[in-house]
Amino acid sequence: MGDIVVDMESLGKRYVLSHQHRPDSIKAWLRSASGRAFRRATQPEVEEFWAIRDVSFQVRQGECLALVGKNGSGKSTLLKILSRIIPPTEGRVRIRGRVASLLEVGTGFHPELTGRENIFLNGAMLGCTEREVRRRFDAIVDFSGVERFLDTPVKHYSSGMYVRLAYSVAAHVDAEIMVIDEVLAVGDGEFQKKCLVHIKNALSTGKSAIVVSHSTVLVKALSSRVAWLSDSRLKAVGTIESDILQRYADSI
Amino acid sequence: MKPDSPTEILIDGRSPTFREYCLELWKFREVAKMLIRRDLIVRFRQTYFGLAWLLFKPMMLMAVMSFAFGFLAGFDKNHSVPYPLIIFCGVIPWYFFSNAVPDGMNSLLGQLHIIQKTYFPRAIIPGAAVAVDAIEFLVAWLLFALGCLWFGYLPGWQVIFFPLFCLQLLLLCTTMGLGLAILNVQFRDIGNLVPFLLMTGFFLTPAGYTITRIPEQWQLLYALNPLVGIIEGLRWSLLCGMDGFPQMPVLLSLAVTLAIALVATKHFLATESSLVDLA
Repeated sequence: MGDIVVDMESLGKRYVLSHQHRPDSIKAWLRSASGRAFRRATQPEVEEFWAIRDVSFQVRQGECLALVGKNGSGKSTLLKILSRIIPPTEGRVRIRGRVASLLEVGTGFHPELTGRENIFLNGAMLGCTEREVRRRFDAIVDFSGVERFLDTPVKHYSSGMYVRLAYSVAAHVDAEIMVIDEVLAVGDGEFQKKCLVHIKNALSTGKSAIVVSHSTVLVKALSSRVAWLSDSRLKAVGTIESDILQRYADSI
Repeated sequence: MKPDSPTEILIDGRSPTFREYCLELWKFREVAKMLIRRDLIVRFRQTYFGLAWLLFKPMMLMAVMSFAFGFLAGFDKNHSVPYPLIIFCGVIPWYFFSNAVPDGMNSLLGQLHIIQKTYFPRAIIPGAAVAVDAIEFLVAWLLFALGCLWFGYLPGWQVIFFPLFCLQLLLLCTTMGLGLAILNVQFRDIGNLVPFLLMTGFFLTPAGYTITRIPEQWQLLYALNPLVGIIEGLRWSLLCGMDGFPQMPVLLSLAVTLAIALVATKHFLATESSLVDLA
């Protein structure tokens, strides 16, 4: 068992659902402000919603944790907090190492830039220096299989080429922790197989991963542990051999 | 970040302090470099003249302004310094300001799709947008040097203060860009309001004329516009102390700039981590 690389303590994310219109213009804001001043009416129209609440788990080095749960159970919210895209309302996460989130690959790509330029831009966004990207450049290009179009602006790429290149960059930044959200649904079968092998290799060299997938086959193939989210809370967490996956499958 | 020294990150939803945020920015300086490079490449790609546009734009601007204010309006009388140089010192900072502020303001909203998917300190996006305009601004001064050669004009010792006024302008544009970028995500009204204010602002800024055109009793109010002090300061530093040191506008402008910088930075730090939730 390796060191703990992700330590999550009673994490929670609250959203306020306002059944009134949220003031998204200055006019609306002024109206609600003056309304508050003159009407002394408390506003019961506001309702709280916890997207996730009281979620705690740990991921150790070299381990792959699978997150399972129905749509709306809070998996995406959890991954967004882990990737620091949104802040948690309560609780905390301690992370040792760099996180490469493959939430939606290629979002940092700029259509006017060439494949080559985008590799460097995207690499930087994933936390690599220019030198580090240069060192891995050939591996990235090889993996993606788009070397003929490296100096073509990516706006002319086919969607398959685009996604393959984007995934290759993300996969090669050598992050200690990979956050993977259904990205293996990209590319053709051959490319998916390549990705799977790549992730397995990374895991065997001591990298860790958190994977979200609706495919039980994939989850079984990759992960050593599984966490089940249900109605914003952690229902169960345990090894992949335990009955959690089976119980989850039975619940749907 | 070296792979052998794993960094520890703590995520707890707390807003960062100014110091922490600066360290974070430094950690992600590579992204800033790449975004600036990207914006520069994209701005001049598929243009015939490419980087030469950096010089064309201020040149055309100076020609048009000298014609409009000097020749048509007849402001070019009674000056010891060539009028195009006076204009230049006003028009170039104004041009920078009036581009950088809206560019910074629109940057976060325009790149929301990136912010919603990847993490890096958000200030880099408006920062890079302003930086690209700042590069144009700095290059434009080369043209000023050429103008000095053309008119056989040499700046005096006051020129050592030139970088300070440039820095102040940079601070003003960056922090206004940051603050407005966040506000623009929260209240989209801002995006409609600012271009209108800028159009009005052009007439309330001594770009095509000098502050001496403003009646004495209005100058204090007029100088509340921070650009007044910056532009008159630049003229003083580059044009051999023309009309004497503009003490009141410079001090007032410094105070207004610092106030804006403080408020904008505070608001930015308090809001930036929950930006995606606000959008």
